[in-house]
Amino acid sequence: MGGLARRVSYIKAFKQRSNLEVPALFVDAGNLFSDDRAIGDQLSAELMTKNKWVVKEYGNSHHDAANIGYPDLPYLGELLKKDGYDKRVEEYPFIERLISANIQPVDDQRRAPAPYVIREITLKRGAPGQKIRVGIVGFTEAKQINNVDKQIVYGGFRVGDIFEAAKRVLPELKQKTDFIVALAYMPQDQTQRLASENPEIDTIIGARALNSLDEPQHFNRATIAYAYNQTKYLGEMRVYVRNDGTVENQVNRYVALDAQIPDDLTALEAVTAAHNEFTTEQNKSANSQFGGSHGTNALENATLSPFVGGATCAGCHAAEDEIWSKTRHAHAMATLENKNQQFDNECIRCHVVGFEKGGFQSLITTPQFANVQCESCHGAGREHAGNPGGKPYGQVVTPAGCTQCHAPPNDPDFDLAVYWPKIRHGSKEPIASVKVP
Amino acid sequence: MRRKISLLIMAVFVAGLATINHGCSRSQDSDAEDSRLDFDLSDPKLKERLGEDDGYAFAVMYGADVHGSLETCG
Repeated sequence: MGGLARRVSYIKAFKQRSNLEVPALFVDAGNLFSDDRAIGDQLSAELMTKNKWVVKEYGNSHHDAANIGYPDLPYLGELLKKDGYDKRVEEYPFIERLISANIQPVDDQRRAPAPYVIREITLKRGAPGQKIRVGIVGFTEAKQINNVDKQIVYGGFRVGDIFEAAKRVLPELKQKTDFIVALAYMPQDQTQRLASENPEIDTIIGARALNSLDEPQHFNRATIAYAYNQTKYLGEMRVYVRNDGTVENQVNRYVALDAQIPDDLTALEAVTAAHNEFTTEQNKSANSQFGGSHGTNALENATLSPFVGGATCAGCHAAEDEIWSKTRHAHAMATLENKNQQFDNECIRCHVVGFEKGGFQSLITTPQFANVQCESCHGAGREHAGNPGGKPYGQVVTPAGCTQCHAPPNDPDFDLAVYWPKIRHGSKEPIASVKVP
Repeated sequence: MRRKISLLIMAVFVAGLATINHGCSRSQDSDAEDSRLDFDLSDPKLKERLGEDDGYAFAVMYGADVHGSLETCG
């Protein structure tokens, strides 16, 4: 599901269907760039490469604006450095469409992003010939460190108060425009507060790694809709206009970007080139980071991890191991390797044992935890392996235990009754809730 | 006289071509590319994704959280 090549393709089909009668703006509500494993404000070479391709291709595919979410700040710190800025903008014009009303650089080494952009569209329906100026403004929360504290300064920028910034910027934007779209990277209660306190806003697009396709909400004058995580579903807010040019209504819908949407070939070429360059950088990084020392790391990881790996399980559960070895779970990492995604954290977590929980780290340091093994579903097994007759171990609650990874955006065809027979194992039916034909 | 008329016709023709190619300013720079679109809109799957065209005047397409990836996993 998802991906730039399908998004671009859908928007082209959308325009063709309306004979170019319906102008469409394309916005991103935040978290465009990766800050994974940033050390302080420093990003690795491979992440710099990955992010560079995003800013390049969002420009090439005619996105109108992108809100700066807090994960974007480390890379934004590179893009908005005053030194070499004009040359960077010449190469990647989309830099000037990265917006935020509530972040400011902490020193004079970097420029502040624009708080908003204004796009003018000419209507062919409702009030044909009328021009509508659409203001697009962005806000983000600060990075949450724990349940209480936030990291106000990140990537060379200070994240200011959202609601103060809104009171400062929105009246000015209202003077210049006919319709305001606010992009909000923050929890839903804060998004609702933004709408409640600011009657200038017509539409809010909220985001924060949400996996929901809920109906839009209405607060004050604003219609609020939320973007789906990773844009696996594309949001489409339709705006209806009366003959006098005023907005009559807004209707939200989500478009599943699945295999029914063909890839745009130009965008696909760019995605492939980005992927290849990213993979090359990752391989370089992995070799320099782990070269010559992985024996020690592997030993440390093996003794410190709460996971033991399938080979240990097989010592007592040989029959189950034999069944597992013939399933797709046993080759889950190969699926990623075939697409050169074996280093992508967003992908890895569903293809290994215990990622970010003391299990899999990388193919070089922890190869024993690659693939979906026993402990991916049954949980960390070191304690059980040390004392098999001790605490009960291994019950899997279904379907919740499966749908953490086999969720609709990853696996729209998932059906437990169909999938379970493919991996059925154990001397008795271990999952009471499964109804297998 | 005939030469002048020919020059005038030529000038009008060139001016017309220039107007067609450059005379209409566009606020959306993607329009030129979009004029070459070629989807089979009768495909029922694509029709389902596009939904019904019920007269809306404009649209805001949106996404978020791509987190550095132009593609998704697997």
